[in-house]
Amino acid sequence: MKSYIVKRLLQLIPIIIGITLLSFAMMRLAGSDAVNEMYAKQGAIVSEEVIQKARAELGLDKPFIVQYFIWLGNLFRGDMGVSYISGKNVFSTFVSKLPATLLLTLMSIILTVAVSLPLGILAAVKQNKVTDYIIRFCTFIGNSMPNFFIALLLMNLLAIQLKWLPVMSSGTNFVSGIMPTLTLGISMAAKYTRQVRATVLEELDKEYVTGLKAKGVRGAVILWTSVLKSSMLTIVTLLALSIGSLLGGTAIVESIFMWDGVGKLAVDCISNRDYPLIQAYVVWMAIIYVGVNLVTDILYHYLDPRVRLGGIKD
Amino acid sequence: MKKKFLTLGLIAGVAIPLAACGGTGGGESTSTTAATEATTAAAESTTAASSSSSGEKKVFTYGTTGYGVDMLDNGTNPHDGYMGWSALRYGVGETLFKFTDSMEVEPWLATGYEFVDDTHCKITLRDDVTFSSGRKMDGQAVKECLDDLIAVHDRAPGDLKIKEITADGNTITIETTEPCPALINYLSDPYGCIIDMQVPEKDSIVVGTGPFICTKVQDEQMDLVKNENYWGGEVKSDEVIIKGISDGDTLTAALQAGEVDATYGMPYASYPLFEGNPEYEFSACETSRQFFGKMNYNSEIMKDEAVRKAIAMGIDKEGFVTTLLQGHGATSKGPFPASFAFGDNTVTAPAYDPEGAKAALDAAGWTVGSDGIREKDGKKLSINWLTYPGRQELPLLAESAQATLKEIGIDVQINNTKEHKTFWKDGNYDIYVSAMVTAPTGDPEYFFTTHALSGSASNYEGYSNAKLDELAATLHKTFDETERGKLATEMSQILIDDSAYVFASHLQMNIIKTKGVSGLEAHPCDYYEINKDTVKE
Repeated sequence: MKSYIVKRLLQLIPIIIGITLLSFAMMRLAGSDAVNEMYAKQGAIVSEEVIQKARAELGLDKPFIVQYFIWLGNLFRGDMGVSYISGKNVFSTFVSKLPATLLLTLMSIILTVAVSLPLGILAAVKQNKVTDYIIRFCTFIGNSMPNFFIALLLMNLLAIQLKWLPVMSSGTNFVSGIMPTLTLGISMAAKYTRQVRATVLEELDKEYVTGLKAKGVRGAVILWTSVLKSSMLTIVTLLALSIGSLLGGTAIVESIFMWDGVGKLAVDCISNRDYPLIQAYVVWMAIIYVGVNLVTDILYHYLDPRVRLGGIKD
Repeated sequence: MKKKFLTLGLIAGVAIPLAACGGTGGGESTSTTAATEATTAAAESTTAASSSSSGEKKVFTYGTTGYGVDMLDNGTNPHDGYMGWSALRYGVGETLFKFTDSMEVEPWLATGYEFVDDTHCKITLRDDVTFSSGRKMDGQAVKECLDDLIAVHDRAPGDLKIKEITADGNTITIETTEPCPALINYLSDPYGCIIDMQVPEKDSIVVGTGPFICTKVQDEQMDLVKNENYWGGEVKSDEVIIKGISDGDTLTAALQAGEVDATYGMPYASYPLFEGNPEYEFSACETSRQFFGKMNYNSEIMKDEAVRKAIAMGIDKEGFVTTLLQGHGATSKGPFPASFAFGDNTVTAPAYDPEGAKAALDAAGWTVGSDGIREKDGKKLSINWLTYPGRQELPLLAESAQATLKEIGIDVQINNTKEHKTFWKDGNYDIYVSAMVTAPTGDPEYFFTTHALSGSASNYEGYSNAKLDELAATLHKTFDETERGKLATEMSQILIDDSAYVFASHLQMNIIKTKGVSGLEAHPCDYYEINKDTVKE
């Protein structure tokens, strides 16, 4: 298992080189650059001389591939550079945003699992009964509403009408995280409830369940010991994808609630063409997805005997 | 029975993790605790906005779209990019001269100036000004500040053209490399805030002369405390919190929830929530931020003067302002607002005249096709309207023009993109519609030299008028303000008469305040917001 983990982690190196090169190239293809965007933002018209001087200071006058390898060389020396816009160290800027993103991810995933797992199972067990219809209707509504709309509804109800929660976050803390969590959790829980229901129903239809029932095993025992365990593979895969996505930040929710995470940072740095920060974000995303996939695969190993016995060996 | 047990188990399954999410014991108590915590936090948050009524600390909270990383002004060092805007807007820094409501310069930290000759300007300073560090502001302090400004700032050296500064007691003499009639105007730019260079910048915080001292700079927030030794008199608020809120809906909700005392940058769509409500008050002012179109002379279709004239006559500026901007704007004739001595009251422009536009196109041989779109020599009268979404007014203007120009037989294809600069520089458009502050320092020269002259940096349209270039050369050497105004008027009129530009409207700056807020008014150049009198009573 150790060698497997090391092998997977080593795969990060070509992945990082590949995607950072790709993102570097794509940002150049998108046109404009940090200097242009900086002056455009303020509506200032400056001479070409000033623009060229600013470009030279940032190294943007060098050929694209030279810029990339300078950046890559610095990265392998542990230097992610400084932001073109703020002039601050990229690594410390990025790291300062991570606690907010991690907290929001954690809160959202807990809420999502807490809601979708029981409701999905309940809907499956009560298939085509009133309970099932109510749950499916609610999930349909939850799935249909975009995040920003849910955010505005919550803001209006909980902050403006009831004055229970603040509109704007006052830092990375539990209370400020409630509304962003609810916003993300409602749509994610709606999606996962349906997924859990479908997965459990699929398992319930399998022959081993019929066999267990024929042997006189109680329905609850079948559900908890066999069906849920088998369903976990699908659920874990979906959760892993969501965790990856949440760790990448949720720009719209972060902007609306002024939650200081990496999502908003990513959007800002892309619009400002702040290449060093964009590259830091890309590296972070690569690490997240490789890391989350690795953890998921290890979980498979323990959850599914077929994987454990027939596939990966320690 | 078994099913009931299973159902109960599932319900418990929902409740228990929810309780765990809350971090404490049972579901019910958790919910109560969370609500209490939330209320406390909300109260703390709103206290910041309303503590003025408590009689203790007077804290003023200001929500604005104009502050933040995205605006490149999250800091107070005027020598660093656009941070001078924050220094000036929020009362940390002050300039030697400032602009009046009619955008004329008046002394601020200085008492007066005199152009000794074309390249020497002597400025006399006030003798009662101290920095918040306690150091007296004298000629030497100002020289140190301006020397650093021209050494490190990107735009200032090109604007100010300073060769040398000499300090003598309470006066400084600035020698320029060439005649610079707008020197005093440029010194009033936010980058001209005078700061104490003997106190090094730390975390984008500098020491100024203003009524407030910056204590903390964050990406989306700036904290200020009153300058107890402010030279200008008593400062009414004890603390000021600047909240950079980029999302318009959040800004709206924050004002409604009482988390901010006043806002700048509210989206037009939210205005009806506050208009006519006695709990809120508007402070509005016409600015020199102009929404205007530039005709591309490199485009075959736009070389036809009749087409340019028809476009100028076919845009319903009044309808755009009254309907789409809900009256929060002012129609334009030329590049400068009516409050300027060389503004809209001094020029004439064609009014909205669809019939006149049709006649002009008819006369030029553009006939109406079966689909209502005009054509000539087999070519449809279809124009590419390049604009961008960064200013909420621009897409609205595009839609408005698309509708009214269609009535006269012009098809408008809108290219509304964030990558507008690329299209603009590549010449892939017929009309480029953008927004800019035409007179950021109250002087007209900037607009013409950057946009309209044959060699202007932003003249990608290939527009050229020899008379205009000649007048610009004269303007560059003219020191007399009245004469400069006359020249500016003449130059604006040339742009209008050539139908090279269509000036649609000026931005109306709006500050929405809650009841009890005083000392905060909109200003034509949006440099001055928080001041010593700003307070929420």
